[in-house]
Amino acid sequence: MSTHTYKKFEDVESGAIPDKMTIFQDCLRAFNASPVDAKKSRTLIARLLRLLYSGETFPKTEATTLFFSISKLFQHKDSSLRQIVYLAIKELSAISDDVLMVTSSIMKDVQNGDIIYKPNAIRTLARVLDGSTVHATERLMKTAIVDKHPSVSSAALVSSYHLLPVAKDVVKRWTNETQEAVLALKSFPSTNEVFVNDSLITQYHALSLLYTLRNHDKMALRKIIQQYSKNLRNPLAICQLIRYVNEILQNDSSLISSFFPLLQDWLNDRHHSVNLEAIKVVVSLPVTNEQFASAVLRLQFLLTAPKVVSRFAAVRILNRLSLKNPERIVAVNNELESLINDPNRSIATYAITTLLKTGTSDNIERLISTISKFINDISDEFKIIIIDAIKTLSLKFPQNYKSMLLFLVDILKDDGGFEFKNSIVEALFDLIYFVPESRDLALENLCEFIEDCEFTELSVRILNLLGNEGPKTSNPTLYIRHIYNRVVLENSIIRSAAVISLSKFALIDSTINKSIKILLQRIVNDVDDEVRDRAIISLKFLENYEETKSQSIVELTKPSYTYDLSILESKLQTYISGDQSNFVTPFDITSIPKISEDELKIIQLKNKTNKVEEESKSRNAIKADVDDKINQTHLEDDQNAELSKQHYIQELNNIEEFQNYGSVLHSSSILPLTEKETEFIVEVVKHIFEEHIVLQYNIENTLEDSLLEMVSVVSQPESEELVEEFILSIDKLPPHGKGTVYVSFTRPESTKLITTDFTNTLSFTSKECDPNTFEPFDDAGFEDEYQIEDLSLTPGDFILPSYVGNFDLAFDELINESIGTFQLSSNSIQETIDSLIEVLSLGAIEGGQVINESSHSLKLFGKTINGDRIGAFIKFVKSAKTGVTLKAIVKADDEELAETVLNGIA
Amino acid sequence: MSKNLSLYAVDAFLILDNEGKRLYAKYYKAPHKTEQEFEASQFATLKSQKAFEKSLFAKSYKQNADIILFEDHIVVYKEVSDVVIYLISGLDENESILFQTLEGFKDGLDKVLNYQLDKKTIQENFDKVSIAADETIDDGIILETESSVIAARTSKAPTNEPSLKNIDLSEKGLFNAFNFARGKLAERIQQGL
Repeated sequence: MSTHTYKKFEDVESGAIPDKMTIFQDCLRAFNASPVDAKKSRTLIARLLRLLYSGETFPKTEATTLFFSISKLFQHKDSSLRQIVYLAIKELSAISDDVLMVTSSIMKDVQNGDIIYKPNAIRTLARVLDGSTVHATERLMKTAIVDKHPSVSSAALVSSYHLLPVAKDVVKRWTNETQEAVLALKSFPSTNEVFVNDSLITQYHALSLLYTLRNHDKMALRKIIQQYSKNLRNPLAICQLIRYVNEILQNDSSLISSFFPLLQDWLNDRHHSVNLEAIKVVVSLPVTNEQFASAVLRLQFLLTAPKVVSRFAAVRILNRLSLKNPERIVAVNNELESLINDPNRSIATYAITTLLKTGTSDNIERLISTISKFINDISDEFKIIIIDAIKTLSLKFPQNYKSMLLFLVDILKDDGGFEFKNSIVEALFDLIYFVPESRDLALENLCEFIEDCEFTELSVRILNLLGNEGPKTSNPTLYIRHIYNRVVLENSIIRSAAVISLSKFALIDSTINKSIKILLQRIVNDVDDEVRDRAIISLKFLENYEETKSQSIVELTKPSYTYDLSILESKLQTYISGDQSNFVTPFDITSIPKISEDELKIIQLKNKTNKVEEESKSRNAIKADVDDKINQTHLEDDQNAELSKQHYIQELNNIEEFQNYGSVLHSSSILPLTEKETEFIVEVVKHIFEEHIVLQYNIENTLEDSLLEMVSVVSQPESEELVEEFILSIDKLPPHGKGTVYVSFTRPESTKLITTDFTNTLSFTSKECDPNTFEPFDDAGFEDEYQIEDLSLTPGDFILPSYVGNFDLAFDELINESIGTFQLSSNSIQETIDSLIEVLSLGAIEGGQVINESSHSLKLFGKTINGDRIGAFIKFVKSAKTGVTLKAIVKADDEELAETVLNGIA
Repeated sequence: MSKNLSLYAVDAFLILDNEGKRLYAKYYKAPHKTEQEFEASQFATLKSQKAFEKSLFAKSYKQNADIILFEDHIVVYKEVSDVVIYLISGLDENESILFQTLEGFKDGLDKVLNYQLDKKTIQENFDKVSIAADETIDDGIILETESSVIAARTSKAPTNEPSLKNIDLSEKGLFNAFNFARGKLAERIQQGL
């Protein structure tokens, strides 16, 4: 080879990724030459690897050619060249044909190759073999596994592991050798030049292989643990063993006491990896408080470790724990607080969110003051996370609003980008909405903020909020000045928002009305069309209002309700997707349910608390995948249920018989009355009208070859107050068909809540039929009945969740009181709360999310369909012996109502 | 909570330069795993791999944080002069073990490259880098975490000095050489004709 070619690839060497075709040609030429230049070949292979590792790939034919030309180098005896040859063969074997051809050459190396490339040969062997050829290597592999050299042994074990999917029965035959390898402490033969530490990682490989060969057998698994728990030296191997212990204990928690001494040893091991693995196992098991505490103690130690990774792992575990049992990890709060300033941002974020979770109303204020000390030193992204956490907190502990409000107001004055400011404003909005005591102070500060706010979007939102909330405050005129300042100083978008906002103040009283009018008249001369238009419209409204005092004008300036937007959206979509004939009739807005302000608030509060829970879960990310999916489907389910409910109401309105019933006051969610797998699937929806109750049964026939005729439901109420009016049955229900049966009852007294059970029986005439044409074979058929589950009418069917700003005040106003104590066999307080909210259909004002699993209090509020108010204050205590015990105080406008709701709890 | 009980612990191993470009990138796939399984994973295509690297680099470079959670992966990494070495793994792996592996590789490579770990040296000694990486992780299985072993297993490039041993300077040797040259020459002339 001439010096010329040498130069060429040394140039390329230092530069970018080499050209694919050049490499291909160079390789073929060099590897086929004789004699082979070892140094040049190694460099060429390195360049080939460089190509492959940066994502380039060769077409199959070229790869195969390359593969076989490289296999020629097997003849060269330079061991450093041979080592890299194996690397190339390993890479190319995945994209070439006929790789089995080199098996014999490789096996020769495995047998008596140099130690430099022998392990590489063994590992490459696993790539070229397939299920049918493995047995030929059995003797070789066995010898390699018990080889004294750790690298050879590890290579053989790892290769066997790779081969498991294709040849498990063959690999099983070397179980004995594998067992031997777990215990053998192989040391790397030391050379004179370098000192080599033994890692004993062979234990890890052998143990894992052994486990996979044996894991079908629980007894064998326990034996493995007992046999090796004291003999393992490699931390990776120990970690793997801990996972096996976990596997056993998760399935059988009665063994915890016998395995705990082992876990305790591992908790005190000098390797952090072993500690972490043991802690993860202990905290996920139902261990005693002392055992849990020892894990927390080790976590506390790891939190102060100098290694970033150990701190990270520890705080990550704590963060996960804080979601489930925050009270059990309060011991580490001090260490967590010192981590707030950790240079690794992930650690600091975890520390803060964990602290905010473990925080109780007592230490929140101190925590917030700690945060405010360093908040200026961190990036926007991180600040946003903290603000979000505080926002959640403010909904959880409304009584501590003051310190949180001050904190938010403080950082609002700092410099920051849009995202940052936006999250603060969002948090303040939530405070104003859900913690009415904070309103005046928060609004004042928002006013100051918009004095020099550079983000138009935020100013507009704040002005809108001022318009909605300002008139309710004690000193509304204060805000008028701030708003009018905007009209003078800002751009046209903000000006027009300010105009609308101003006009809302005009409805308070006549003096303010007068001054607003003066202001509006000034604005009429604005340069911008939109601003002018809005001012003129507002003025007209106000003039009209003075003359007529008509309520509709108030509605227009300050609507007291909104529409259910998701339903509105879907309805509008169906409307515009129809053909031209659709547009002959205008869109009917009355079909969209209206949501009053209080109802809207309770829905938002519910969504917010749920969302926050989800976020923290997904940030925690341990089981993020699964959880997220569940949550998502959960959310979607909620929405779908709402939509189909709406759909049913629509159908109901189209049926003649129900035309004169008036509008639906309340519809329950869809309840299944049968299992999903039965012959007939029945679901029910309860609709409450002014004087009637309609039960809607959705029936699906899942049989292949039966035609059902005259399908109806016999529904027998226990209470005699309900009188059945009529049944709308289904004439024909073909296989896989769906139909709806309506049963209508009259409701005696509209003010009263009726709770009763219905027994339901499905009755029909069944005929065998052709599964394709649905034509019955004969006309006879036979009558049949089918028992389905009972249905109960609960107080919740007459109640709508509602929001109240000051629960205590509203609760005191209600005079009729009913108190009861109940004992429920539920597992957790959270579960109980969720089912209570579902059954009573009241809105959770405070305490919807359980913080402390041993005792908790919950405040619920709602209104009946007649407008009667109901408040409930429920205290929960949980103990291991008796389950969940609760004491409920229900107060309502009506004595009987309070009683009925209380009975509904049981 | 089900843990990863298999030996396959690492999803990918990357060395990127100071602009986030690939020096070494390997996304592991068990050798006898079916193609379909791999295609279902996040890193099935070169495009998705590169997109992942780009956002990962943007998120981690110059942070010196050692570890982050990124797109449902634990990522441990080390920045050394103008390169970054990443080890990417699933969420329930042991963070400390992963970092131990990464440090093992980095220290081993340091020894092999005479403590000159930078972009240029990596490019010039790509053979050693590839071998060291291969000795650390074998298709997702952690093979070795001890830096001295990794260094000892990485062979030096062959020397190319013509060995003097085989050159025979005796009279017979010279005669042989002459005969060989004559034969070659004759061959050439015949071919020329």
